[in-house]
Amino acid sequence: MINKKLFFKIMGSLLFIEAGLLLLSLIVGLLYHDEEYMSFVYSILTAAGIASIMKFYGRNAENRMSRHDGYIVVSVAWVLFSLIGMLPYLLSGYITNVSMAFFETMSGFTSTGATILDNIEEGTHALLFWRSMTQWIGGLGIVFFTIAILPIFGLGEVKLFAAEATGPARSKLHPRISTTAKRIWAVYIGLTLSCAGFLMLGGVSLYDSLCHAMTCTATGGFSTYQDSVAHFHSTYVEYVLTIFMFVSSINFSLIYFGIFQKHFKRFITDTELKWFICIILGATGICMYCLYSDHYQEPLSFEESFRQAIFQVVSLITTTGYASADYCLWPHITWSVLCAVMFMGSCAGSTAGGFKIIRVVMLTKNAYNEFKHILHPNAVLPIRVNNFVISNSVKSTLLAFFFIYFATTMVATIIYTFMGLSFSEAIGVSLSCISNVGPSFGRFGPAFSWSHLSDAATWLSSFLMLLGRLEIFSVLIMLTPHFWRRR
Amino acid sequence: MKIVIAGAGAVGTHLALLLSKEKQDIILMDEDDVKLDKIGSNFDLMPWHDSPSSIQAQKNAGVATADLFIAVTPDEARNMTCCMIASNLGCKKTVARIDNFEYMTDKNREFFRQMGIDSLIYPEMLAAKEIVDAVRMSWIRQWWEVGSGDLVMIGVKMRNTAKILNTPLKELGAQKLPYHVVAIKRGDETIIPNGFDSILPLDLVYFMSNRKHIPFIRQECGKEEYPDVKNVMIIGGSRIAVRTAKTVPDYMRVTIIEQDEARCNRLTELLIDHPNVMVVHGDGRDMNMLEEEHIRTKEAFVALTDNAETNILACLAAKGMGVSKTVALVENIDYIKMAESMDIGTIINKKTIAAGCIYQRLLDADVDNMKSLDMAKADVAEFTVNHNAKITRKLVKDLGLPKGVTIGGLVRKGTGMLVNGMTQIEEGDHVVVFCLSGMIKKIEKYFG
Repeated sequence: MINKKLFFKIMGSLLFIEAGLLLLSLIVGLLYHDEEYMSFVYSILTAAGIASIMKFYGRNAENRMSRHDGYIVVSVAWVLFSLIGMLPYLLSGYITNVSMAFFETMSGFTSTGATILDNIEEGTHALLFWRSMTQWIGGLGIVFFTIAILPIFGLGEVKLFAAEATGPARSKLHPRISTTAKRIWAVYIGLTLSCAGFLMLGGVSLYDSLCHAMTCTATGGFSTYQDSVAHFHSTYVEYVLTIFMFVSSINFSLIYFGIFQKHFKRFITDTELKWFICIILGATGICMYCLYSDHYQEPLSFEESFRQAIFQVVSLITTTGYASADYCLWPHITWSVLCAVMFMGSCAGSTAGGFKIIRVVMLTKNAYNEFKHILHPNAVLPIRVNNFVISNSVKSTLLAFFFIYFATTMVATIIYTFMGLSFSEAIGVSLSCISNVGPSFGRFGPAFSWSHLSDAATWLSSFLMLLGRLEIFSVLIMLTPHFWRRR
Repeated sequence: MKIVIAGAGAVGTHLALLLSKEKQDIILMDEDDVKLDKIGSNFDLMPWHDSPSSIQAQKNAGVATADLFIAVTPDEARNMTCCMIASNLGCKKTVARIDNFEYMTDKNREFFRQMGIDSLIYPEMLAAKEIVDAVRMSWIRQWWEVGSGDLVMIGVKMRNTAKILNTPLKELGAQKLPYHVVAIKRGDETIIPNGFDSILPLDLVYFMSNRKHIPFIRQECGKEEYPDVKNVMIIGGSRIAVRTAKTVPDYMRVTIIEQDEARCNRLTELLIDHPNVMVVHGDGRDMNMLEEEHIRTKEAFVALTDNAETNILACLAAKGMGVSKTVALVENIDYIKMAESMDIGTIINKKTIAAGCIYQRLLDADVDNMKSLDMAKADVAEFTVNHNAKITRKLVKDLGLPKGVTIGGLVRKGTGMLVNGMTQIEEGDHVVVFCLSGMIKKIEKYFG
């Protein structure tokens, strides 16, 4: 059965890392002379204490990890991280309700960006920095972060990587996973720092630049202001964020090969990227037309309608969830476009969530093949992505994933409707959670927070966010009786 | 070290696993993605789905910057082509698996080196050597010579007739024994024993000793009734059989039984210089025929057909007819454990032998000679002690060697001697170390 000692050993190491990250936030708080910082001290002590106990229990663990262990470690790690991560909010009294504090932390780690806060500006520097950092760490994955910095897992790394990595194509950059992880993180850190640099050039303060850069490259969407990016009233900032949201939702291995290995050809010929760009341009075109033409109450200027359209489209397709305008006030036709875009998400292997463009590509080609198949029953019709034929096993996993993704969204929508949300809100909220986007429609649009969700609905949303972030299978597999049956 | 392995067959896979545990950067190339998927999702290496003999594919896989290229596809010509391409691209060292004995001769070595193939490996030859070692002394499961051959390590299965059972080694040692027990394999467990452990029936015990004391160990183990092997029967006239027949000492008489008549004729041609070999046409599974060929008078029976099941069953039948030493070729790695539990004397697997041999060549030059004991999950290695090495500074008992490691013996100026706690190791000694699998890197520093 489960290798308990190894499990506790890994959890212990993970919690030590979280304690370290909390310490970093505490230091930021002290630098900015926060009045309230004891909440962080207590959280760090709690995390370190639990970590020590787990480490002690897991000493002399046998270094043997099964596939089962991999899935359990990853799923439990995310929940545990959120449980510890919500302590600063609760202890400081910033959020008083446990379900809401957990929601806020889970929304952070899964880089969703939905918030229940109506008073963001009241948070201390340390709290808001921690809030942004949860997204940054969660962007590429908690366990992936650990693989990069700690050589603790031995041979289990591969199984953990498989359980946490997203998308059907898990390309390695280097034969060793830990080296692969380091290189991906180097790309990530580079993106974040350059984003912060560009924001500072636009006159944003160092603190706000860092916090926004972290949530932008993580495609998370937390802001340090209640009215999100609209707060800056800056065209420059909006364009910078649009570009960085876009870049962070391209497959990171592609960026690595493009920048460090000078394989520009791969960049240009990548099928997924081509589709991604086309979808963004198409959706932006529709929204822009609606904003520019008479459909809108007060038509905007050409530049402004372009800027608002592309910002909202990129923000939602990359599952970031920043808002520079309230799209709930836009013509209804844009809603359906934005909803579709939210569902699709971005490229696999990036920090973004959603269904992933590569799956959309494969599904489309598969459906198209079915038409040919009817006329030519014996034809061999492979699905090719980047000139590689997709095998049948990948195809059946894809179809199963599509079904489960769809079914989960449906069930969640029904439950939300029971809980008193309107139909469009329910669809919006469940899609937003499972795609890790953030804002939704109606009372949950970019102009409002999610604070009026009931406790039960809050827990359900937290669960959906975790499901979406770990691509459903990794979590749901633990709910199957088959998983726990003795082998 | 960056290592590219071409061919994800049994040898390639086994090797990739061994090396990825050593934390090397492994790229495993094969055009069959089903094979790659299986290994890539379980181990820390990079599967590369492309043909290893394509120049473009090798470029993409980064062979140009690799330290080592190992070609182990089933086809020898292809392996050599792959190696030539790899060294042309700039790979530092190449190894090719081949099936032809001619290529191994010294005078051709330079020729292959010029073509870009630095090293050749011929599993059949390695297997033949292993078989001869096993057959030479029928009561011994495993036999390994150190350096000049004065010091030997042997593995012996304990039966109830042994005299040294159930006594702690400490008490046995009081009589100043001429051997050293380096490891005990009991069930699935391998024990590096200390003075309080004792030997139980059915243990596989590894002794380190001088050659002249082997009869004494035999007596202590109660193995006197095992006759010396003078007559060997081999079923299956494969290439290994030919190599084995060519390698056995002249005093042994070999009977090879082969089913295919054309192959029989070919065998007689191949073995024309070896009058001690007789080729018989017949089915190795036919008991009557084996009786006619006097199986009961043979001391050793070696089954080398292509079929692992046949080999295992034939060995069991031979055991039943009173042959004391049986050797089976088992190519299916999953069967090895099962075959061992059925009490077949020695099991030969070409793939693990080949992988082990390549692995051994990769280890630092400090290790002169190494053998992996698949059955016992342990390694024996021979080190030469360098000037001012850590190991020369203290007596053996004060060295604080890691757990799971024991020093079996040493060869000083050509004479083998055993090592105990009071031994002082000197510069230039050849030291034999016995350790559990994967610990060899930890020991190297003592000799550097």
